Amino acid sequence: MNQKISKKDISKLLDELGKEFKVFSPSRESGVTTFAEWDGRDSSFLEWYRNTVISPKAQLQPLYEKMFSFHKDKEGYHLELPPPTDKKLIFGIRPCDAKALTIIDKTFQDTYQDPYYLDKRKNTLLVGLGCTNPYDSCFCTSLGLSPTQSSDVDLMLTDIGDEFLIEAVTDRGMKLIKKTSYLKEVTKTDEAKAEEARRQASSKVTRRLDTKDLAKRLLSSFDDQDFWEKVSNKCISCGICTLLCPTCYCFDISDELVKKEGSRFRSGDSCAFPVYTKMPMENPRLEKWRRVRQKVCHKYEFYPMSFEVIACSGCGRCIRLCPVNWDITQILASLPVKVKA
Amino acid sequence: MTNREAEQRLRDEAKSLLESAKVDYIVGFADGSLKFHTTPLITRNKDDVDHLVINPFMASNLAKFLTELEGRVGIVAKGCDSRSIVSLVQDNKVSREKVVIVGIPCRGMINLSKIEQLAGKESDEIDDITRQGDKVVVKLDGSEKEIPVKEVLFDHCLACELPTPKEYDLLIDEPIPATPDEEASQAKINKLEELSHHERWRFWQNEFSRCIRCYACRNVCPACYCQRCFVEEAEPQWILSIPKWQDNLIFQIIRNIHLAGRCTDCGECERACPVNIPLRSLSKEMYDLVGELFGFKSGMEIDAAPLLTHYELEEAEDFFR
Ligand code: SF4
Ligand code: SF4
Ligand code: SF4
Ligand code: SF4
Repeated sequence: MNQKISKKDISKLLDELGKEFKVFSPSRESGVTTFAEWDGRDSSFLEWYRNTVISPKAQLQPLYEKMFSFHKDKEGYHLELPPPTDKKLIFGIRPCDAKALTIIDKTFQDTYQDPYYLDKRKNTLLVGLGCTNPYDSCFCTSLGLSPTQSSDVDLMLTDIGDEFLIEAVTDRGMKLIKKTSYLKEVTKTDEAKAEEARRQASSKVTRRLDTKDLAKRLLSSFDDQDFWEKVSNKCISCGICTLLCPTCYCFDISDELVKKEGSRFRSGDSCAFPVYTKMPMENPRLEKWRRVRQKVCHKYEFYPMSFEVIACSGCGRCIRLCPVNWDITQILASLPVKVKA
Repeated sequence: MTNREAEQRLRDEAKSLLESAKVDYIVGFADGSLKFHTTPLITRNKDDVDHLVINPFMASNLAKFLTELEGRVGIVAKGCDSRSIVSLVQDNKVSREKVVIVGIPCRGMINLSKIEQLAGKESDEIDDITRQGDKVVVKLDGSEKEIPVKEVLFDHCLACELPTPKEYDLLIDEPIPATPDEEASQAKINKLEELSHHERWRFWQNEFSRCIRCYACRNVCPACYCQRCFVEEAEPQWILSIPKWQDNLIFQIIRNIHLAGRCTDCGECERACPVNIPLRSLSKEMYDLVGELFGFKSGMEIDAAPLLTHYELEEAEDFFR
């Protein structure tokens, strides 16, 4: 049975959750919108939060993280692993960003089980918050999800005016609401309001991407150099659309050495950078069009081939944050090859 | 000339440049896919030039693309863009004969972030933004709000010394005289200067903690044309590739030093930064320092010798002889 909570009680709820978890919620304190540790004060995000520039993926795959430290003495090298992962709760994750985690899980738990990501993932609860005011750059509805969808979170909140309807999606979510204060039973009217909110939110997402036969269309356009040159010419090869994409996960590894001590870090990397594929003798993606093609095909062709899901959840960050307004939905709509069904 | 007439003239000129094969490419602005955004239009196809626009949202500095494109290029240039082009010509990165500069006299570009702050809404929620003389009219939720244009132009536009290109092949409209308001332009920087050293250090530490090392600041910059940037060098490694604030700060300091005498104060780095780091507060300091020490303003005079790559026999340092 669903529950509800008054918006006025959200601060108290977060305080209570803070006793068991490290709670992260939308914040703009640092100068950019991101998920930051709940400070017990500022619940104003309920007013301004649409989506954050830095997606909550950063809680699971940080922009950079220490893999281990090492030092050298007479006996040789000694390694020190990072401390065990905290129990975290991400409050307010949007359906697209939650879906994005489900998508990248497939990479991190493929043949190689990535302990850094998976430990955090296992220890993180997701409390979703349905959208009421999507951006004009959002296109989640074209990727099989809705702005109020609950499939990828533990608990899902839907805005029904002065209150949020709460749906327990997983067992973990169910356990959590059993011991949570401030919740009330929902009425039939509340359920009806939630249904209406869901319908309205979906209708506000207006950007479209036709995913029908997309992988096939990309495959047949792969060798069309003219097309790729044309659509990539205004891209400036920065890392914005990849580093800030919730479904991009590439990282680089580097060491920081100070005398006989050091640390090994991993940090976000981007296929938009020419050095990404730099090898001793050559670089297979020196030209910009090859890198743009890689980004597009990886998301909409190769990833579905490997994992049966498109590596994009339609969050729209790559469109709204790009310094030249390069728009993936326009590029995919202009693919030269149309495949007959 | 009305804006519409200017746009039509621009399209006609661009078309005839392509048709007469005077250029291989046209580089200009088209409407973007987001509200109140333009997007660079780079084309060899004369039918595309009908998408060229002139409006107060042409924030990008297109000079950037000149170092990438092969062949002759007809480029739409605001005053500041023309300065970047001139600077590139002086540095031998672009050959003047291969560029047709289509000058656009410019009244300043609108900074959407400033509008968003004043309106309390994000740009996609705003119904309309129009410039009417010294005012900008913002339509929002059925009501209209007038804002003095000075409150919503980019900081670097407020200080613009060259709204109309001095170096051009074609000028689309009547020249506009410069009316720089240095004080308004410096407001953010002045506030920083009032801080103590310690506070300022803390300020930059906080700002650079957000940097994600996307290099958009460097990649949009026409003056950052190095084929191998120091940040990617591994032998020696000047900075770590991980976005620690210390390394982020060093990246930006070295970048600014490299740009002394090249930076034209076009403001692109700050505009491109996805995490709102006020990069112009650094670059403008360098720009002013170059002005003070050497009386040099990059890109203003095509005949000037480039500041740091030109040497005279009489130079004090033996090293250079
Ligand atoms: S954000 Fe835009 S300019 Fe930067 S790499 Fe992506 S598409 Fe290119
Ligand atoms: S590709 Fe773009 S829209 Fe899709 S998940 Fe990444 S940033 Fe979001
Ligand atoms: S920062 Fe310096 S080295 Fe890097 S591209 Fe710019 S000028 Fe070149
Ligand atoms: S644009 Fe901003 S975030 Fe990106 S590298 Fe430059 S300072 Fe860092």
